[in-house]
Amino acid sequence: MTLTLTWTDWQAIAVPLVLAIGAVAVLLVDSFWKSASAELRHTVVTLLTSVVILFGLVFVWAHRDDFKPAFCRPAVEGPAQCSLVFEPLTAGLWAVLLIGGLGVVGLSAYRLLAADVPIGEYHFLLLSALTGATVLAGARDLATLVIALEVVSLPSFAMVALRRDRRGSEGAMKAFLVSVLSTAVMLFGVSYLYGVTGSLYLSTIANRLTGLDPDLARVAFAAGLFVIVGFAFKIAAVPFHAWLPDTYVGAPIEVTTFLAVVSKSAGVAGLLVLVTSGIAPTGSQLRTAVAILAAVTMTVGNLAALRQVEAVRLLAWSSIGQVGFLLAPLAAGDAQAVVGYLAAYVVVTLGAFGAVAVVQRHRPGGLLTDYRGMVRSEPGLAAALIFFLVVLAGLPPGLAGLFTKFAAFQAVIDAHLGWLAIVMAVNVMIGLAVYLRWVAELFRLPADDPFSVDIETPAVTMISLCTAVAAVLSVLPSIMFALAT
Amino acid sequence: MNAILLAILVLPLLAAGALWSIPAAIGDRLAAAYGSVISGLVLVGSVLLWPQNGGWFAYGPQDAPATEIDVAWIPSLGVRFHLGVDSISVPLIVLTALLTFLCCLYSLKITPRIGRTRSLIALLLVIEAGVIGTFSALDLVLFFVCFEIVLIPMWLVIDIWGDHHDPAGRKRAANTFVLMTVFGSALMLLGFLLVQRVAGTLDIVELTSSPVAGGHGIPLAAALLIAIGLAVKVPLWPLHIWLPDAHAKAPTVGSVLLAGVLLKLGTYGMIRILVPVLPDATATIAPYLGAFSTVAIVAGSLACLAQTDVKRLIAYSSVGHMGFIGLGISTLSPAGLRGALFANIAHGLITGLLFFLAGAIKDRHDTSDLRTIGRALYARLPRIAALLTFACLASLGLPGLAGFWGEMLVLLGAYHPAPWLPRTTFLVFMVIAGLGTVLTAAYFLRLVRNLCQGDPAENPPAAFAVDLSRIELVTWAPLITLTVLLGVWPGLLLQQWGAL
Repeated sequence: MTLTLTWTDWQAIAVPLVLAIGAVAVLLVDSFWKSASAELRHTVVTLLTSVVILFGLVFVWAHRDDFKPAFCRPAVEGPAQCSLVFEPLTAGLWAVLLIGGLGVVGLSAYRLLAADVPIGEYHFLLLSALTGATVLAGARDLATLVIALEVVSLPSFAMVALRRDRRGSEGAMKAFLVSVLSTAVMLFGVSYLYGVTGSLYLSTIANRLTGLDPDLARVAFAAGLFVIVGFAFKIAAVPFHAWLPDTYVGAPIEVTTFLAVVSKSAGVAGLLVLVTSGIAPTGSQLRTAVAILAAVTMTVGNLAALRQVEAVRLLAWSSIGQVGFLLAPLAAGDAQAVVGYLAAYVVVTLGAFGAVAVVQRHRPGGLLTDYRGMVRSEPGLAAALIFFLVVLAGLPPGLAGLFTKFAAFQAVIDAHLGWLAIVMAVNVMIGLAVYLRWVAELFRLPADDPFSVDIETPAVTMISLCTAVAAVLSVLPSIMFALAT
Repeated sequence: MNAILLAILVLPLLAAGALWSIPAAIGDRLAAAYGSVISGLVLVGSVLLWPQNGGWFAYGPQDAPATEIDVAWIPSLGVRFHLGVDSISVPLIVLTALLTFLCCLYSLKITPRIGRTRSLIALLLVIEAGVIGTFSALDLVLFFVCFEIVLIPMWLVIDIWGDHHDPAGRKRAANTFVLMTVFGSALMLLGFLLVQRVAGTLDIVELTSSPVAGGHGIPLAAALLIAIGLAVKVPLWPLHIWLPDAHAKAPTVGSVLLAGVLLKLGTYGMIRILVPVLPDATATIAPYLGAFSTVAIVAGSLACLAQTDVKRLIAYSSVGHMGFIGLGISTLSPAGLRGALFANIAHGLITGLLFFLAGAIKDRHDTSDLRTIGRALYARLPRIAALLTFACLASLGLPGLAGFWGEMLVLLGAYHPAPWLPRTTFLVFMVIAGLGTVLTAAYFLRLVRNLCQGDPAENPPAAFAVDLSRIELVTWAPLITLTVLLGVWPGLLLQQWGAL
């Protein structure tokens, strides 16, 4: 019989709470204010969402060095067990997630988001998913982790299907089925972990795993593997990635951006918490499993990206490759490298999708050849896109990408995973080949029908902002690595 | 002095950015003149850096280099922005500045047919900054970053301005170049990280004064990774496969910078990092390095004998010459290392000149195929043919010209390798490399005979063929002068490395 005395530092859940309230508020404003014009409603809803997210960012900045536990109770052995913790690592992850969310909101401004997407629902779902994402990054017990992951996932499928056309429905359906399956697999693993260790709290599990007898340790390994596989589905690690390209192409491009930036980061954040502070302490075989997952994911993702002729499909596959690179320092347990990588990835992915959205609004085909000759016809947009791609490839002038890859290499080498480092080196090469194909199209002259339009002001603002942030991160990379210390 | 060093790094970058912000129509017309002014300023700056002391690696706390910039950059990763120059880097920096300046000057009159001069000049300036950065970096990661800065600009130069007869070929050449180099540099980075794991620092000065001991285990792995990464760039046989295509398909200015400057990044890295930082492990791999270099000398020369394309021939001759430099480094002896350093500069000057000449011949005949060009250049283009003969003689190592001293010192070094190396092995290398010089003479003389000599009656002159133009004379004169000067007065450079 344990004492069910719990205590909570309410500040720890202030951000998820405000995001959730904001979500409801946005929905209400949209449904009960039908008299306003579409533009006004769109603007008000966007502003409301932005304010809510900005509150989160300000909170994270103000409390970046604090430690705030929530839903804690005394443990039989060791320190208190908590379900949700706000600590510097959480602050870093929240910053990345909220910046990603804010970027998506900016890229969904009036005239940018397709007119047939219902604006209130869109922002409601976005804020709901962000609520789940922030909880996920702070979760410290398996139940919270699973529930938070579902809170991220379910709104995402709804967003994919928001346009209600055939491709969207197909993409949403695929993602939904895969997600249900992965949740089942994960819950199976969770139940075994609970059975073996008698606890759902990550800290307690980590403590008890070390003293387990060998038979139970094998069960715990298998259970941990199931949980990791569940996450692997969500972040589309190979071989659990098949749903991703169709879903990315089927969704409205702003939703694709959201999936690539927020959903993916949330999954990686959850896995990071799970691996580093729970089921896979240093030296665990599960870390080797994650390392193998990383190697396969980056190789398959990059090789497949090499053959794509559509911009969004290329970004979809290359995002799989990037997840492989994120999993590498994760397997080494280096949170700083993971968060740094996520930060750079989020900023430039926002920018790249923003640029693609601009082109795709006028040329729905979305082929790489649509970008031919853009250095002359649209020099600003082309320069920004090239910069984003080069950051993704990790080559100068994209030093933000170079140094996050460097940190990943450093983490892997320090964890004595030499073979993984070699695989990563090969993938740096393949990844470069992927992005250079696109860059070559941009530079190709003369072009028959170069892309040139008046770019919408909000898109210009967002893409310039992303470029500026990526440029600052390139000159002062320590900012990225200070996020999680 | 620090200000000058920083200026010659930042100026080309800023100038390139400024050039891109000018509209294309005006930019294309002004670019070459603008580039000449900027790269001329950089050249002046680099000459001012020429060190007064003859020290090399001598600096500990008591005699730090006069020119040094050292600020923390990314503390959490242990990366510093540490720049400095000494007597082995300054000559290479001057060479870089000189060749870039000459390329810009050359572009005043002669540019690739596709145009877009604005971007071409801007990219040349970016390449210049990257190379100078590599030569002055004193932090392993900064070295790596600068090493990589060069890649995408050079890829673009080959891909856009390359051989206009063969779009698919130039694209393939550019991709092979960039992908192989990037893989090599990623391996090199792994080596650097292993060094950091053992020594706890990435600072080259610190690592030089307290090197990583041990010739097996992790130091050996690090040395192998670094050596392979740099060998791709050198390029050392059998990692040279990117080179012939890249050089042959690149535009003239691209080939000149590739051969004259970019290849030196690899050998410089070996001398700056591999040898002093991992001395024991380098000694372990030195015989293998020497063996591959010797194979490169012979294989490069044999490949030259089979070439029918003048640019490919010169490209393969670079493989052979870089093999000499590799052999010199692998001897780890004062003579060998000095020879390698000297040959670095000499090869940059002579091969730069050779590629300029090959470009001139190619432009006049619209092909670089030897059979189509025909023979009897002495009659058709007497001045260019004479210069080609001069450059070939310099390249094959005629005493009295710059090419001779480096290779002679290398052979001398192989005769007396460092005492901890197997002398017999190096004697064998020396003999084979000596035979390689004979082969080199053979293919260059064959080139001269097939191209320059012959009966003018059988090879009617091309209608548009103008002999040496003024801009060509101006551009090439410094290279010719320096080739002769270093040939008759090698001490000019060698005394720099007195405290070897």
